[in-house]
Amino acid sequence: MTTTRMAAAVLGAALLLAGCGTSDGTTTTTTTAAAGESTPRAGGTLILGENGQEPTCLDPHGNASSDGPVTTVPVADSLVWFGADGKLQPWLAERWKVSDDGLTYTFTLREGVKFHDGARWDAEALKTNFEHMKDPATKSPLAAAYIAPYEDSKVIDEHTLEVHLSSAYSPFLDILAQGYLGMISPKQIKEAPQTVCEHPIGSGPFVFDKWTKGQSITYHKNPDYNWGPKGAKHTGPAYLDGLEIRFLGEDATRYNALVAGEVNAIDFTPPQNVEEVKANPDLGFLTAVRPGHPMSFWLNTSRAPFDDVKVRQALLASVDRPTIIKGISFGQYEVAQGFVTSSTPGYAAGLEGTIAYDPAKAGRLLDEAGWTAKDADGIRTKDGRRLTAYFPIDPSFPAQRMQIAVQTQAAAKKAGIDIRIQTPSTQEVSDRSLAGDYDLASGLWATNTADVLWIQYSSKNITTDKRRGQNVARLSDDKVDELLQDARETTDAAERAELYNQAQARLIELVPAVPFYNDPRPVSFQKKVRDLAFTPAYPSPYFYDTWLDG
Amino acid sequence: MRNTVLRLIGWRLVAGVGVLWGAATLTFLVLYLTPGDPAQAIVGGENAAPTPEVIAQVTAEYGLDRPWYAQYLSHLVRVLRGDLGTSYRLHTPVTQAVGEQAGATVELAVAAAVVGLALAVTVALATAKRRRWIRGIASGSELTIASTPSFWLGILLLTVFSFGLRLFPATGSHGFSSLVLPALALALPIAGVLGHVLREALEEVLDEPFIVSARTRGLPDLTVRLRHALRHALVPLVTMSGYWVGALLGGAVITETLFTRQGIGRLLLSAVNAKDLPVVLGVVLLSAGVYVLVNLVVDLLYLVIDPRLRDVPAIARPAAEGAA
Repeated sequence: MTTTRMAAAVLGAALLLAGCGTSDGTTTTTTTAAAGESTPRAGGTLILGENGQEPTCLDPHGNASSDGPVTTVPVADSLVWFGADGKLQPWLAERWKVSDDGLTYTFTLREGVKFHDGARWDAEALKTNFEHMKDPATKSPLAAAYIAPYEDSKVIDEHTLEVHLSSAYSPFLDILAQGYLGMISPKQIKEAPQTVCEHPIGSGPFVFDKWTKGQSITYHKNPDYNWGPKGAKHTGPAYLDGLEIRFLGEDATRYNALVAGEVNAIDFTPPQNVEEVKANPDLGFLTAVRPGHPMSFWLNTSRAPFDDVKVRQALLASVDRPTIIKGISFGQYEVAQGFVTSSTPGYAAGLEGTIAYDPAKAGRLLDEAGWTAKDADGIRTKDGRRLTAYFPIDPSFPAQRMQIAVQTQAAAKKAGIDIRIQTPSTQEVSDRSLAGDYDLASGLWATNTADVLWIQYSSKNITTDKRRGQNVARLSDDKVDELLQDARETTDAAERAELYNQAQARLIELVPAVPFYNDPRPVSFQKKVRDLAFTPAYPSPYFYDTWLDG
Repeated sequence: MRNTVLRLIGWRLVAGVGVLWGAATLTFLVLYLTPGDPAQAIVGGENAAPTPEVIAQVTAEYGLDRPWYAQYLSHLVRVLRGDLGTSYRLHTPVTQAVGEQAGATVELAVAAAVVGLALAVTVALATAKRRRWIRGIASGSELTIASTPSFWLGILLLTVFSFGLRLFPATGSHGFSSLVLPALALALPIAGVLGHVLREALEEVLDEPFIVSARTRGLPDLTVRLRHALRHALVPLVTMSGYWVGALLGGAVITETLFTRQGIGRLLLSAVNAKDLPVVLGVVLLSAGVYVLVNLVVDLLYLVIDPRLRDVPAIARPAAEGAA
């Protein structure tokens, strides 16, 4: 009786969630509030309305949620700071040296840094953090994979650590700038590792107070803080006395909470509200395109019909991506031009415009691929088989992605491709994903290097029985493999850029995915919120310089 | 009488243990049989890239590589010991995860129950046996509200009182003002159903000879209704307790999500989505326990309300399961 009712209630709520969906907002222009002339003022508590992707663990190394960094960066500083220009700057590491073979990194650490529990930041602390990330007991869903080539490290002296990698890995430093690899107190890691998820202790400008699960996280100022990143506007402690992050999953609720003044700022402004925010004289707006892989529909290249490159090219040519994206994002999203977003270092701007909407070309390509006949529904056939592709979609799919799927389906049908959208349970989608039983799958990957292409398209990352890989397209192309592996291993920046350029061109030919939009991080805030910024390594609001005016 | 009551409690407890065992077994089976590797659920997700070592660690740590019966037995043994295990997703003990959320749900459910019952009783008392149009309006609005989905009511309340008039906050669990709208959203449909049932019962009672005789003794209408009629009308209210306790528990999932409140409903929802077996088991067991308890209390209440029942053997009594 109870079980039935609870199940019914859960089902009802799940349907509700699926119906409402979540959404990400956007725009490419960066608008900040008209900066006042007044000088920063200390005090006050800022309340940020975050979306519903609440992390399940506040250990930076223990979560993979897109809301992870916004909740952990106030507490945990990083080894290096990734500047808005893509250049690395010192933070908890004063400087570093990379050996010619790219296998040894020697970090010289900043002195005088203290964690909130009094533990000292030194070479041993950094070593402990690396080991914590790698330790299977941490159950790291992301950080461990990001530092996979890490082998071991050697304490040279109190403030010098020598890190050894098993293979050259050029994104190593960039990755270390992401919030997922922030530094936690070595004392906590050694004495009470099981407490890190619930109560992380770092060295950051804010001290963790309380996590009211399903609702909010609160922090207070670290008065001793004096080691902000070089990219910051000031030194010393943060201006805000306190910080509260509230999880407001419903888009309408989040936006209205900002307008009603219940919160000072909101993350992931719903795209339908962006114009209203910009037109509202009381509000400011800040956005950044997230670096990494654009939101795309990956095509399973390991089985028919998408094992044929011409069919993939035909699908890409048959979809009017700019019109779809403009429609579903209220004109807010930037159409993807390839397989990394425009904000990613190594983005091949020269390839812009290569992917074009061309239904006639789609028809020609399908003819060449042998799909010449058409059945009564207008779907192409070959040897009596219909050109059908299955697209299992998770029930928790954001509504906008569903709209893109439906409109892509309609466009493909005109070209004679029958996309079957299926909506099995989350677990079935996950299982089919592991088994490779799909023709289309959707997703994006945010990270601050073009190595995202290696993550998504290296044949080493195809899911097997032993390992879950992110090569959802199951692409296996020798040239792509070689280019991406070389880019990963070279220590020469110019050479790396050229390799990534070639890889992007090759991928546009291979069409392992239909890229749709460059995912933005649109933040809206009351005008009295000043100097709200992003951590560029993984764009999420950063509050060190932020202050409240009046 | 004492024997009867003790036997009743005894039987109810035995049945209760059966219900709990059934709930534990059923949930285990459902979650075990639905496809999906829990290890992937524990460290997976759209942006996750767990290494093989991490997956292996998780599988071993949670015993996911053991056969189903071993996992089932260790679940039952742990449940018996009061240990509900560790959440796959939150990496904390289930009792802690549930404990953190229980207070907010109890607060919401109690507020909704009080508001719902008070509304139902007041409206029923005020409108039973009144003019046709008064009853028509009351009955019509009750049916409308009872058939309105909770989330729609919630959105309506939010739009009017929070975003529009800005009388109450839209989110959070901070104090009384943030409790008003969610409690109303949860209480109104319950009040709709209960009010309807209660008025019909009252109307029947108000035709009884003893009411007529009370009126002829010159008692005022209100006194007649409160003192004589209400007691009889309480029986269907108690009988329906199964329904409204269920409605409170189930409705909490939606209400908590909509108003971004803490609570067991949201905990359960995220746990089901993430295949977090220990948490789902814990929450289901807890609500089954609440049910068992409520039914026991209901049986005892019958004895208080209707003394005639005290002489009937407990087993022969019609079970007060309610509509749920």
